[in-house]
This record gives sequence, C-alpha cells and structure tokens, in this order.
Amino acid sequence: MAAFGRLAVNIGRTLISQESRRCLNLSSALRIKEIRETRDGKNLIVEGVTIPSPRVPLLVKNTARTGACPVCAAGLDVKHTDVLILSQFLRSDGCMLPRRVTGLCKTQQKRIGTMVAMAQKAGLMPNIAPANSRRDPKRRKDWKKFNTYFDEKTIKAKFV
Amino acid sequence: MGNVSSKNFVPRSRKFVRRNQKSFFQHKHDRKYLTSIMSAVKRAQQWATFARTWHLFDATWQNPFDSAQVIIKHLMGLHKPIYHPMNDCGDHVVVMNSRDIALPGDEWRKRVYFHHTTYPGGASWTLAWELHNKNPTLVIKKAVYNGMDGNLQRRHTMQRLHVFPDDKIPEEILKNISNQIRYLRPVPTRLDHISPEEVENYPKIVDYPKQYILR
Ligand SMILES: [Zn+2]
Repeated sequence: MAAFGRLAVNIGRTLISQESRRCLNLSSALRIKEIRETRDGKNLIVEGVTIPSPRVPLLVKNTARTGACPVCAAGLDVKHTDVLILSQFLRSDGCMLPRRVTGLCKTQQKRIGTMVAMAQKAGLMPNIAPANSRRDPKRRKDWKKFNTYFDEKTIKAKFV
Repeated sequence: MGNVSSKNFVPRSRKFVRRNQKSFFQHKHDRKYLTSIMSAVKRAQQWATFARTWHLFDATWQNPFDSAQVIIKHLMGLHKPIYHPMNDCGDHVVVMNSRDIALPGDEWRKRVYFHHTTYPGGASWTLAWELHNKNPTLVIKKAVYNGMDGNLQRRHTMQRLHVFPDDKIPEEILKNISNQIRYLRPVPTRLDHISPEEVENYPKIVDYPKQYILR
C-alpha cells in the first residue's frame, strides 16, 4: 500500500516537472526592474519600471531533475577564455554578481568568479570594467601589459 | 620490318638494335643512358632534400618555452628522416610577434634571468617582464638557446633563428619562407572584438531574478 502511495507521488512529480519544462508560461514572464530618471521642469521623477528580461528567449532550459544549478546542468567545461559565458555573470562595471542573483551552487560560483578574475587579468574583457579603467590592456603598467594565460587546474574550488 | 628474317638476323648498327630488342636497357651503355635520364630527376630531389627550408612561427599568445621545443626541432633538422648529428640539415625559423608571447600565471614577475659581468659585485637578476621591456626578442631567444644542448653547434644553430618583435619582417627574409609552424595554443578572443550582435544573441545560462535592478 505504501509503495502504491509512493508511485502516485512519483507520477504526480513527473507531471509537475513536465509542466515546468514547457516553453509556455501560464504565469507572467520573468521581469526585471530598471530605474528611470526623467526631469520634468523642476521636478525629477525617479521611477522603477518593470521590463521583460532580454535574456528570456535565449535562455538555456535547465532540464536537470536533480535541482542542479544552471552551470552544472548545462554540463559545460567552462574555461577562462570563454568570455561570452563569463560576461553573463557580470555587472556593467565588471563586478561578479552575488550568488543570490546568479543562482549557482557554491562551487560553481567560486569557480566562475575565479575564471572572471583570470579573464580580466588576461585583458579579455576590457569593455566590462569600471568607468575609470584604462580599457586597453596594452596600456597597463609593468608586467600587467604583457599577455598572461591561466590554467584552470589551479582553481581551488572544485568538485572532489 | 617485314623484310628482316628472324633466322639470319645480324644487327648492324646500335640504332637498329635499340629499336628491335625486347629488353630495351639490356646493354651496359643503355643502363648508363637510363641513369643519365633519371639523374635529372634525382638531382632535383637531392637539392630539395638538402635545401634549407624557411619556417614562419607566429608567437602571438604562445608560451615561449613550449614553442622553443618545436622551434629547436626545426632549427636542428630533427624532423627530417635524413637527420644525423654530423649532417648539416637544419632549417631556418622566423619568429614573428615575439612581443605578444604569453606566460602562465604570475611567471612574468617570478621568472628571473641571471647575468654576471665577472667583476666583483657584477651579479644582476632581471625579472622576465623587465627583460621583455628591454628587448622583446630575448625571452624567446634565450628559451631556444637554453633548450638546446651546449655544444659547438649550438651557436651556429642559433644563427638560423630570426626573431622579430612585431609583424614587420624584412622583404629578403619574407620571400624565403615556404612553411608555417602551427600554433601550440589557440589565441583567445577578446570580448570587445566580438560583434555586439553576437554577444547579445549568444545563449544565456542564467537569467536575472524578478526584482533585479539592472546596472
Ligand atoms: Zn552547480
């Protein structure tokens, strides 16, 4: 009888997960906020506008049933030269987004963060940087202006 | 040749024999004739085998110490089947963009080059990035020099290495080049060198949370 109950629960779970793997959204789509400042004569109007995320149509579906984080679920071997992936975890000034925003597991958050630092030291993402940065890696000081590459094996955070 | 009976056939001239005999190169003079034809082909092959080939190597984003092993192989002729230490069969290697070599991790400021003037207190230690500042060809030249065994041939072999800090190679060297040595590690692409459309349309792994404020 207990086994029968468990079976029913499992069937229910698969139904629910199938529901979530659909591309259709019954609820409202994911939205993010944008702060807009408009000056109307003497009045400065600051408003938070909710806009649909530009990433929604390009998002890779997380099909993992184990509840793995997006990077683990994608099964990617990310290197520090993969700037198109690493730049997704950055703010416009080059800071790493916190874990509550990225939704990664602890190990991947640490690994991606280290690889972002590697890519920035190698000068591979000079356009995502603080406003006062030099941008061109060739204009950096001393040894920083020369090309450097990194080995991902030296990252301490990893799955044992 | 219908009027020549096979019974009492006596060859009169060499020309006649050459036209009628089944085995064309039977006579010893004919074998000599054959070798004279073949030697025209063989001579060209001999030239091609022992000619010095000029190889080009682009050092952009390459580790100089890994590259040195490949460069040494071509400089000494170790890649040739005719190689022998007493056989002077080494090639020329032209290295371009030596200013853009890449070192792993913190090696630019950890690798040290030692020099002694032989006077007391004449020892000096130069960091790799300081040496590269002074002369952007020296790191790769020293890597090749130190990668070879110290013998009487080493300095002659080094004469066949031509290193240029950028892509400006003299015309008289450029016209000799007939081969390119493949890179050892791929050159990474900078994010600002990728078109904004490609960056925008690249598949995204994570999305922003509902209440996230873009900045
Ligand atoms: Zn994970």
